[in-house]
Amino acid sequence: MMANSLPNIDDKTLLSLRNQYPGAFGATSKQLIRTLVVVSLVAYTVASLWYFEVWRLASASDRAWRLISAMFNWQDMANWQYAQIYSGIAQTLAMAFLGTILATIAALFIGFLAARNTMPISPIRHLVRRMLDVLRGVDQLVWGLVFVRAVGLGPLAGVLAIFVSDTGTLSKLYSEAIENIDRKQVEGIRATGAGPIKTVRYGYLPQVMPVFISQSLYFFESSTRSATILGLVGAGGVGMIIIERFRANLFDQVTFVVLNVLVCIFVIDWLSKKIREKFIGETRH
Amino acid sequence: MLKIEHLTKSFATRNAVSDISLSIPQGQMVGIIGRSGAGKSTLLRMLNRLADPTSGSIYFENRDIAKLSGKALYEWRASCAMVFQQFNLVGRLDVLTNVLTGRLYHHGIMSSMLQMFSASERAFAIKALDRLGMAHTALQQADTLSGGQMQRVAIARALVQQPKILLADEPIASLDPLNAKIVMDALRTINREDGITVLANLHTLDTARTYCDRIIGLQDGVLVFDGPPEKLTLEMAREIYGAEAEEAFSEGMTSTALAGVPAKERLTERDLQRHSDMSMS
Repeated sequence: MMANSLPNIDDKTLLSLRNQYPGAFGATSKQLIRTLVVVSLVAYTVASLWYFEVWRLASASDRAWRLISAMFNWQDMANWQYAQIYSGIAQTLAMAFLGTILATIAALFIGFLAARNTMPISPIRHLVRRMLDVLRGVDQLVWGLVFVRAVGLGPLAGVLAIFVSDTGTLSKLYSEAIENIDRKQVEGIRATGAGPIKTVRYGYLPQVMPVFISQSLYFFESSTRSATILGLVGAGGVGMIIIERFRANLFDQVTFVVLNVLVCIFVIDWLSKKIREKFIGETRH
Repeated sequence: MLKIEHLTKSFATRNAVSDISLSIPQGQMVGIIGRSGAGKSTLLRMLNRLADPTSGSIYFENRDIAKLSGKALYEWRASCAMVFQQFNLVGRLDVLTNVLTGRLYHHGIMSSMLQMFSASERAFAIKALDRLGMAHTALQQADTLSGGQMQRVAIARALVQQPKILLADEPIASLDPLNAKIVMDALRTINREDGITVLANLHTLDTARTYCDRIIGLQDGVLVFDGPPEKLTLEMAREIYGAEAEEAFSEGMTSTALAGVPAKERLTERDLQRHSDMSMS
């Protein structure tokens, strides 16, 4: 027993040490709070499971099984409207591409207005940043609903939703990249007599370009996924095709479309990797 | 003639440069010496207005440089080139484009944005690189070069600005002895052949003595010596360098003093080429 091997400490010393270092003896109040937190977490989880009637999962297993088998039991494939499906996918890709490229162009300018080193006038910088917060703070799906109301059903609403929300996030990421550049290279350009715009072009842009390209490529990939979701609220593309077939209980076709979208995303991911290697991985030593 | 009058730069608690007056005739090679923090860099950076003076004037061809702004300031920077201790090249651009940025002042916004440099500008840039023995790296990305090579590219960038004055802020402090010598020889050649005034901050006394027509000593922002190298006595130098005297005088730091090369010999371009070949191998 460890405790027996310790030299005896009388109560008085113990008490004075306790008073001197109250934190060292494990305060009872802290232990109480910790217990309370654990108990309430467990209680909240159990209550939520009960509230959402988790036992329905067991009785639904039959239905779930039928759904899954319907998804993989492809019937009547000759009559599927392939033209419609693939034009939907093409539309989604175009939406994602256009939205991302427009957002990239916008962020290329706004990023510099939101970065501390390129926009020294702080009221303007803060105004730009707060506006970006608004664009970012509202979810893309909500922008989708707004633009469907504004410009009607169809891909244009999707493009605008992607453009607006990507502009918010990309500008923020770009401005952070701009703030992290090497000042010395900028000074080298300034010393040649280049004005502010030329300094941005030659001192800043070469440094931040790899980051910009990489982030925009990632956003193209991510926008392709979200463009699918945007279709569900009526903003055009393959999402509309999925929701139509879902409502008509054509689960096999839903599976087919989703698999096609997945392939597209893999291809985009692979292409982005190649482009990144081309533009960013070229520093040899 | 560059004329500096009562030039002062104050920071919150102290003067980095206080009340310096100088006049430097066109074509002189001037070494500015002093310990770290003596105000050498601040003085140079005020001359091309990367730093703004608190008070005083800088006259060049009857214009007060300290009062320039906008286009006139950019024009002044274009005619008053600078090379830096850390070379300050844009790492991700190729060497040729780095050199061509020396022409940016002469370009409109559109041609700058689209990197449209004329064939004659490119030829001029390649010739400038060739003078420094760096033409063979023209299409290489700048951050693949070694320190000595980068500094030579930076000098080529300064040359295509066709400057009247070349400021060199500790141009050899980050280089090994051989490269330091190549760079100092290049500055000397440019000074002699092109008649460009060179103002170089030099940390080591020996380099200043070897290459410069005139030495300026700064101590805590105050001008304490101004004269030809011969006039700079050992006591004076000790006074200027203070606690850093040993370091500034020591053999290891007198980086340009290579054995067997006569010091003030006028170097030809062939010499430069030879030195660059030495550094390649």
